Amino acid sequence: MAIKSILVIEDDRFIGEMYVRSLKHEGYDVDWVVDGHDGLVAVTSKPYDLMMLDIMLPEMRGPEILKALRGGKVDKIPNTRVIVMTNFDQDNESRMAMQHDVDAYLIKAEITPRKLIEVIKSFDAPAPVGEQ
Amino acid sequence: MAVEAEQKSRPEPQIRDYWRRYQRTARVIVILMEIIVTLIVGLALMFSDIDPSGRAFWATMAATLLAGCALNFFILDFLLTPLRDLAMAVTNAAGEKPTDALANPNAPRYSKNGFKPLLQFIYEHTRSEEDSKTEEGKESADPQLKRLESALHETSTGFIIMDAHGKIQFANHAAPVKHDTNDVPQLELLFETNSTFSDWLANCRETAVRSEQSWIRVPNRVVGDEERRIFNVTANYEKGSAAEVVVVAYDATGVFQPEDDELDFISFAAHELRGPITVIRGYLDVLEMELDDKLQEDQRELFKRLIVSANRLSGYINNILNTSKYDRRHLQVHLGEENISKIYDSIKDDMELRAQSQRRLLSVEFPPDLPTIAADRSSLSEVLSNLIDNALKYSNDGGAVSVTAATEGNFVKVSVTDNGIGIPSSVVGNLFHKFYRSHRSRETVAGTGIGLYLCKAIVESHGGQIGVTSTEGQGSTFTFTVPVYASVKDKLQANDYTNAGLITSSDGWIKNHSKYIS
Repeated sequence: MAIKSILVIEDDRFIGEMYVRSLKHEGYDVDWVVDGHDGLVAVTSKPYDLMMLDIMLPEMRGPEILKALRGGKVDKIPNTRVIVMTNFDQDNESRMAMQHDVDAYLIKAEITPRKLIEVIKSFDAPAPVGEQ
Repeated sequence: MAVEAEQKSRPEPQIRDYWRRYQRTARVIVILMEIIVTLIVGLALMFSDIDPSGRAFWATMAATLLAGCALNFFILDFLLTPLRDLAMAVTNAAGEKPTDALANPNAPRYSKNGFKPLLQFIYEHTRSEEDSKTEEGKESADPQLKRLESALHETSTGFIIMDAHGKIQFANHAAPVKHDTNDVPQLELLFETNSTFSDWLANCRETAVRSEQSWIRVPNRVVGDEERRIFNVTANYEKGSAAEVVVVAYDATGVFQPEDDELDFISFAAHELRGPITVIRGYLDVLEMELDDKLQEDQRELFKRLIVSANRLSGYINNILNTSKYDRRHLQVHLGEENISKIYDSIKDDMELRAQSQRRLLSVEFPPDLPTIAADRSSLSEVLSNLIDNALKYSNDGGAVSVTAATEGNFVKVSVTDNGIGIPSSVVGNLFHKFYRSHRSRETVAGTGIGLYLCKAIVESHGGQIGVTSTEGQGSTFTFTVPVYASVKDKLQANDYTNAGLITSSDGWIKNHSKYIS
């Protein structure tokens, strides 16, 4: 299933606009919200192919959003890929816990828009999921 | 006076003397009784008209006395044996030297008549009785020891005495000890793994007579707990000693806590610094894509320089963050099956751009038949990029940097060679030290002096080695080794880490300073 619609949850305006601009340029449908609570509402009210999730977010932090979505018995967004994008240096335990529930865990400073697009395109390929 | 002197010279009665005395008395009583019996027999004989002066009379008297004595001694011995054995066991339990040999509780007749458990009970309690006796003695009798104990309670260093099974017998107030739900005191120390200490103790019990082991930086509580303290711990084991295990926990919170706080600070600082870098690198990327057909050749070159510099900046921040983590033993590598050329691919664009913008010729050739390696992808890519970045920096204009790899035993050896300024032999030994920068490089080339230090840390936590050969003025070759995946696969799987999740073919956590090849 090719990825078309993307939800970006990012509180930094510069960074958010950067992703929106480059992803739209590449032809994706992009929605952008700036706080964690709105992000959780958005992703459960409309089916997205991909969600980009920050960790340090106002209102509700990334790990809590992920827990609300995938922490229970039922995966509330089974058809949505999740990429964690953060600059925060999490401790190993927390990072491993998040990695378990997502398709990629990336450091924003390392992943320029061009690399991000490569990662998203790699999800379309039939290759096994989980390559970082 | 005389009476007093007599009393003084008389030895105090001891438990061990009881048996002999009692046996003696019993025998005397038997003999006296036999004499009475014999006299009665004599009287009876006289009344039955046997001539007391005749031979028959005296023969009967003697026979009665002798046979009676012999028979009674035999019966007495039989009846008193259990008493003797009990007396000996109690004598032994009291810590005195028994006068007779200790009885074997497993003797057939004792098993049969039910005496065995009595003896065994005494034997089993002998040891602990002794211990508690001495403990009591300590408290009541010896003020010196009491002073010592209260002194121990006053220090900030924890002292714990245990038996060989880890049961705590004594702990002073400062000792990191908690009480479990049954109010049994337990060691409260978070070693690297839950079993670190118990494994050591079990190993001592099995194999050692005497052993000493130290651990540094062992916290009692997790990060964030207000009562968290950090100890340097030394444990001594001596088989059979009254205090078999002695644990001394020196409270070094004052030394380590500021470092932990500093690490928090560095994590947050890195987060702050990465924000603007994300924006700079991201928008450069966006602009380059969007302006691609509008830029002049020289403008394009300026763009490259911006990108290269931003990438470098990002790399240096990672170096600082990782070095700080490594120094505090928080840096972990997660080894999985990886391919060295794939790892290079993740930094290829960046490296080629750096080479191009500095006018260096970078050639990277990995043989296609190289085996897969056990590596942490992002850590190893940092090693590669640090070494390549150094080679580019210390090369001359137009100089060549070549990267190759070869199999060497159970390792893959990667070499990064430049034809640059080289390193004087006098400083080669210091290269991998933190903050070391040669006098000359300090003047001419920018850098933090932690790149090689970090490379060494990462390579060694993979179980590999890093090294350098260099000729001044002709160039240097940095090499490092990483284990072939197949050669360590079993070890990695033995450390099964179920939460591996996203990172598919990997199974083990490796902490620095405790390489998995133990």
